[in-house]
Amino acid sequence: MSGKGGERGERKMETGIAAVEKVGGRSTVTRCFSKYPLKLIVPNKVGSSKTDAVWIYTLSYGGGIVSGDRISLSIGVGDGCTAAVTTQASTKVYKSVDSKCSEQVLEARIGRNALLAVIPDPVTCFSTASGRHESGEKWEFELYRSTNQIFLEEDQPLFLDSVLLEQASTCSIAERMQEYHVIAMVIILGPMLKHVQNQVQDEVKKMMSRHFRVPTPTAGHYMRSESQSGPTRPALVASCSAFGPQAIGVVVRIAAVTTESVYMFLRHHLATLEPFLGVIPYG
Amino acid sequence: MSELFTKNCESDQAVPFTSEQTQNCLMDCDMEEMSADNVKTSPADHLQQWSQWQLLDSILPTGGFAHSSGLEAAVQARFVVGPEDLKFYIIQVLENTGSLLLPYVYCASKFPDVESWFKLDRLLEATLTNEVSRKASASQGSALLRVAASIYVEIPSLKQMRDTYLGSGAASFHHAPIFGLICGLLGFDSSTSQRAYMFITMRDVVSAATRLNLIGPLGASVLQHQIAHVAEQMTKKWMDRPVEEASQTSPLVDIVQGCHGYLFSRLFCS
Repeated sequence: MSGKGGERGERKMETGIAAVEKVGGRSTVTRCFSKYPLKLIVPNKVGSSKTDAVWIYTLSYGGGIVSGDRISLSIGVGDGCTAAVTTQASTKVYKSVDSKCSEQVLEARIGRNALLAVIPDPVTCFSTASGRHESGEKWEFELYRSTNQIFLEEDQPLFLDSVLLEQASTCSIAERMQEYHVIAMVIILGPMLKHVQNQVQDEVKKMMSRHFRVPTPTAGHYMRSESQSGPTRPALVASCSAFGPQAIGVVVRIAAVTTESVYMFLRHHLATLEPFLGVIPYG
Repeated sequence: MSELFTKNCESDQAVPFTSEQTQNCLMDCDMEEMSADNVKTSPADHLQQWSQWQLLDSILPTGGFAHSSGLEAAVQARFVVGPEDLKFYIIQVLENTGSLLLPYVYCASKFPDVESWFKLDRLLEATLTNEVSRKASASQGSALLRVAASIYVEIPSLKQMRDTYLGSGAASFHHAPIFGLICGLLGFDSSTSQRAYMFITMRDVVSAATRLNLIGPLGASVLQHQIAHVAEQMTKKWMDRPVEEASQTSPLVDIVQGCHGYLFSRLFCS
């Protein structure tokens, strides 16, 4: 299966390019280019030598993205290869000067029987130029758009996701997100990962089912306006959906109060990728 | 002295009434109606209103009553506990509908041909990554097309399109493009079509709220009118956009909607 994802439209000069191909029967980085503000690091060995996987770390000079930055990374994973792409540290986006937008783009092409794992650390948006995360500043940015697109052969759209968080007159982002300070999405795609998909679907269902209960009827009255005592909202809420022909993919969307709970979730559910990648993602 | 004029049916000339005729005119008015700014609405426009009202009437058997837009899951997970929560939830559903689905209604109503519709249907299939919403959309869209093909016999392309694509399995018949297509084929302008889509979305969530015993029927009607100006704001904000711009704006609502399958006891399909 081959696929490509990312932004369409005018092709600007890439900030980074990486290609992974089989050399001597092993996945090897055959091309690795990056320019400021992006840096690509390819360690010699990650995990067990029995595993055939290359890891590509990306990091931004200055540890963050500032206004007007456009970082684009293009990755090609050849037939039969395995690659993982990750950020070395949390991507920080600083308050925009002159209302300029910053952009991060990843475009990938994946060959037959190939595997690409994109394992980013969270994007943290700061409302102040200093980057300090003071109380009351959660979700205090003007606009954040995240787009993930996956295409099959001949540009057939398989998965088109776009989330836009924008301060609105009807309600702010913070009001919309309530006590959930973190959102995340996991996409697991391809026949090679069927067992991972099945496991994630079962476990998310088990985990979430216990949070849904028909509220006890209040003796014929409609809802009370005071908050009721009793069970509170789940600290982590997730839903899992299959998508694509023959349910070729699974997507999990998560909202949580703390980043740590999301890391735990990811570590747990992606542990089955260890044989493919050599290490547990987010381990 | 002012004279009352009427149009002579055979000629377009205005002819002054006699005093007897004036009396009769008031009772015998099957002439074209004159609206306040003297713009005449034609019999065709009047007939269109009957089609429009029928399309938006909840009695149309499209199965909209089976879907709660995630409200049932939201109640069971305590995202909606009181009346303020309900109002807030409905507004977020409307916002998400506007940002994600109005572009599809818009494009389908502007280009109400089968080829354009099919492209939109395929795109929306890839865009509705939430399985619960995706299935709800396909189920409602299929039902709407079946009903419309039976009712609007003056538009044979509806039945033709249904016959062509039903067997092949190539189309999903998603709700928003089908709704837009039907509106376009019935001659509604795209602005009305988009507003109508927001209206039926609001109508169905409010209805679900009464059946979930969150609010009484009268309270629901009061709430619906209270929210109308917000719904109009959102319609204006999200209307007339290309499908490339379709996005979700309420991720929490999407996640909760996606949890519908985890409910042990449920009234609704979504």
